[in-house]
Amino acid sequence: MIRAIPATVVLAAVLFQARPAQSHHSNVLYEVTKVVTITGVVKEFRWVNPHTWLYLTIDDGKGGKTEWKVEGRAPGILRRAGWKTSSLGPGETVTVDMSPAKDGTHVGIIARVTKADGTILSNQPSFQ
Amino acid sequence: MRAIIVSMLFAAAVSAADTTPPDFSGVYYPAQQGRGARGGRPGGPPAARGTQPPRPTQSAPLSDGSQGRSPDAPSLTPEYLAKWEVMRKSRIAGSYEFDNNAKCLPPGMPAMMGMAYGMEVMQTRDKITFFSELNDALRRVYLDGRKPSQDVLDDPTYAGYSTGHWEGDTLVVDTVALHTGSFIEGFTPHSDAMTVKERIRLVGPGLLEDRITVTDPKALTKPWSTVRTYQKATRPKDELREFACAEGLEHSK
Repeated sequence: MIRAIPATVVLAAVLFQARPAQSHHSNVLYEVTKVVTITGVVKEFRWVNPHTWLYLTIDDGKGGKTEWKVEGRAPGILRRAGWKTSSLGPGETVTVDMSPAKDGTHVGIIARVTKADGTILSNQPSFQ
Repeated sequence: MRAIIVSMLFAAAVSAADTTPPDFSGVYYPAQQGRGARGGRPGGPPAARGTQPPRPTQSAPLSDGSQGRSPDAPSLTPEYLAKWEVMRKSRIAGSYEFDNNAKCLPPGMPAMMGMAYGMEVMQTRDKITFFSELNDALRRVYLDGRKPSQDVLDDPTYAGYSTGHWEGDTLVVDTVALHTGSFIEGFTPHSDAMTVKERIRLVGPGLLEDRITVTDPKALTKPWSTVRTYQKATRPKDELREFACAEGLEHSK
């Protein structure tokens, strides 16, 4: 299932990042001013650098399935944000807020992941 | 006010010490915005952590140059602005061609001192080593009075060649022999004539500051300066993780 975030939220996001933040995230593939939400079933979660990757199977709403791969932050960053290597397992249903690829392929960059029990896996590390 | 007094007391304690240089050793993360270099309160408490979920796009700030150059970005000569434009167009098109991080290349000086993923400082009398979790990158600063040889100058590297000396409690570092494939910040290019000067000191308990000045007569119309501030980590956050960047490259295709 894919749904668009209301325009006001997108506008807020654009305003929020009017000053480019210092980041090493490779986001040039993505429309980072857009956010869409997908809900799907985890196929595989790869805990690797330079970035993690989450492979998902989602219902296309027409009786078929589509495969998505979404890019996450680095394992070191995610671990400090409370993730574990086992945070996402094959077969579980998750909701992913993400910015989609510019080229329209089924690729995105993760903003956050929400598990079926409501647990939010944040992108924001805690350093202390 | 209290933070200012604490900082003054700290500075007094540092200057009252004998000639033994301060020990910068430890693991650090970039200090929170609004503190230290950005006009906040050095040594003050960290910003309150909200309970709201993060804004969805917080993880992916725009870095493709489509918003133009920031007013405080390095001021490029026409030749290097043209190079930046080429890279900007490439990035806006979604290419990783000029994205060193995506290719697992070292972050390079002086961009690597952003240390977004954390930094470990290892200090001895004769050498101080800065390790970046991002790409497991190292830079060594020699403190024993040596100077770069001609062989070193002829062989530029991403981290460059750094020598330093103490001026009171401040470590003054000069870096030369920098590879032109690295960036000043973001994807701002530089020439083979770039040199970097740093003044590194503790400005509060566990708060390390690096005042960086970049000089490049070919690429910059004037020297560019920035200040990075890092907060020392405590257990268990004082452990960096291995990066092993190439492991994930297949997924980026």
